Amino acid sequence: MSDINPCMKHQVVRKAVREFAEAEIGPIAHDVDRDARFPWEVVEKMRPLNFFGLQTPKEYGGADLDTISYAIVIEEISRISAAVGLCLTVHNSVGIYPIVRFGTREQKQRFLPGLASGERIGGFCLTEANAGSDAGGVETHAIKDGDSYILNGTKIFVSNGGVCTTPLIFATVNPIDVRKGFSVFIVEKETPGFSVGEIEDLCGMRANPVSSLFFEDCRVPAVNLLGRPGEGLKIGLNALDTGRLGIAAQALGIAQAAFETSVKFARERHQFGQPIAANQTIQNYLADMATEIAAARLLLYRGCALKDEGKPFSAEAAMAKLYCSGLAMRVCTTAVQIHGGYGYSKEYDVERYFRDAKVTEIYEGTSEIQRMVIARSVLSAPA
Amino acid sequence: MELVVCIKQVPMVSELPWDPATGTLKRELAEGMMNPACRHALEAALQLKARQGGRITAVTMGPPMAEEVLRQALALGADEGLLLSDPAMAGADTFITSRILAKAVKQCRPDFDLILCGCYTSDSETAQVGPQLAEELDLPSAAFVEEIDMKKNRLIVSRFSDGFIETLEMKLPGLVTVSTQCYTPRYFSLAGIEAAFPDGAPIRTVRAGDLGLDPESIGVHASPTRILKVYAAGADKENIVLRGAPKQIVDHLLNRFGDRIGGAMGKDIKKNRN
Repeated sequence: MSDINPCMKHQVVRKAVREFAEAEIGPIAHDVDRDARFPWEVVEKMRPLNFFGLQTPKEYGGADLDTISYAIVIEEISRISAAVGLCLTVHNSVGIYPIVRFGTREQKQRFLPGLASGERIGGFCLTEANAGSDAGGVETHAIKDGDSYILNGTKIFVSNGGVCTTPLIFATVNPIDVRKGFSVFIVEKETPGFSVGEIEDLCGMRANPVSSLFFEDCRVPAVNLLGRPGEGLKIGLNALDTGRLGIAAQALGIAQAAFETSVKFARERHQFGQPIAANQTIQNYLADMATEIAAARLLLYRGCALKDEGKPFSAEAAMAKLYCSGLAMRVCTTAVQIHGGYGYSKEYDVERYFRDAKVTEIYEGTSEIQRMVIARSVLSAPA
Repeated sequence: MELVVCIKQVPMVSELPWDPATGTLKRELAEGMMNPACRHALEAALQLKARQGGRITAVTMGPPMAEEVLRQALALGADEGLLLSDPAMAGADTFITSRILAKAVKQCRPDFDLILCGCYTSDSETAQVGPQLAEELDLPSAAFVEEIDMKKNRLIVSRFSDGFIETLEMKLPGLVTVSTQCYTPRYFSLAGIEAAFPDGAPIRTVRAGDLGLDPESIGVHASPTRILKVYAAGADKENIVLRGAPKQIVDHLLNRFGDRIGGAMGKDIKKNRN
């Protein structure tokens, strides 16, 4: 079921997730950011509520939600903690979706139940020191040896890096022609030769353990190859299309949080004998925020609805990601401005929103890459 | 066990649009939610069902949008929903509401064992519908119960009353209203929500005519209650400084507030002193 208008089910999903997020994540969101601590206690509570199998088919233990519901879940969690939202969107979209879409029956039976229950945490490892936007620069290689591949290389800036146990690793099986051999492997953390680097000291999303992953003569069974050798780019781009809807939802959640806290602050903060909300400048800020957030939400839901209808949604996902992430930056910048000096203080949540917002313009395809995707779609249309 | 849970949709507290000039709630502007006490009653029913087996029917009376609380009840584990919705029912007071509920339960679930209601609603706080429904159906009932158990076809309920815990035995069929001090509601699972929204979900809409009710006898005009004023309950804060030696201060504190502290902790703290 997909519907641009919020239907009753979507309202129920929103209320349910908001209730959980406010009660269980709200009280610790500030502290886990300050301490750069991954909130395992929250993960524990989210597991039985299907947060780790949002769109995984029911037969593998998932909730099998439609994509608008999925976006609402990510938005509502990110409204309270974008770092927890990041864990969920990476796990559910780029971590699980490629297995659902491209996995063999045997791979689905082996990996999906553990991932959907949250016992295993997913990840998506494309970026390397010399490869990011350009997947052709990937140096991690997997050399066939009997019925295994020997994996060697280093992945960097892996969201969920410190906690993922069943990540997808992009590597080439043909080091001479990287693109031709570009492939995806499902690699389990217990595999000898798999190790995790230091947790990165980042500007935002600090409660998510972003790290490097190292592979040193890591022997991966050939049955863990997702799709065929050389299908890596196709799988990666498909995963990123759906992942972008998740990041757009995350950015929207951050913007919504910054907006709500700004409205509250503008009503409470008095200057010159009246609440600052009485000033037309502040009113204009709030009006623009509200309008842009409403527009962004509809743009995102359009991408989600197209996906559920089985129609192409690549350009629409890119538009949603581009617009929502830019919106998050604009809204958070204004929100800090409305808060004045308090907005610049770590005591106020708006400072965290501001730091968290920036990376939504960078990961899972920078804004520049999104424009490239959109422009290609625009220019490939019949004249 | 055949369980019936009565649920009301109330305005979400955080969004309650309140008109201080007229002292009324602008209900039509508010987002709806399941009345918190009703959710505790549903939780009690879910736990009873888990132990005893059976079926849970969630019943609500309200406008068509009240279907949402029935979907929520299904998502949490109820088996079916009954939506009593008719423009003729609008504006019914607690007396008429309990009369309509009684009629619906008798007609749609005549074989029920236990009806559970929330102890009161967050939007009007009368706590009347549950006990009135028991009267209408001529059932034994207990209000504000905190613990429910079954022993040889009899219901054992406990409740906190005047500073002591009362345990009652009740014949079935019967009715209880559940306090908000116990049966902390579970969270919604997303698979539960997904399962509550198939096209053929077991939710039935019942109109006044289906229950053989004359529209003249049920709406706002038939309701004997006249509301003169609605106001938000105020809470005053008072700072009290106790002075003296530590032992005196503790004695003073417990003499003055021991009942309330004990009530919050659920045990008699005075008894255990020394």
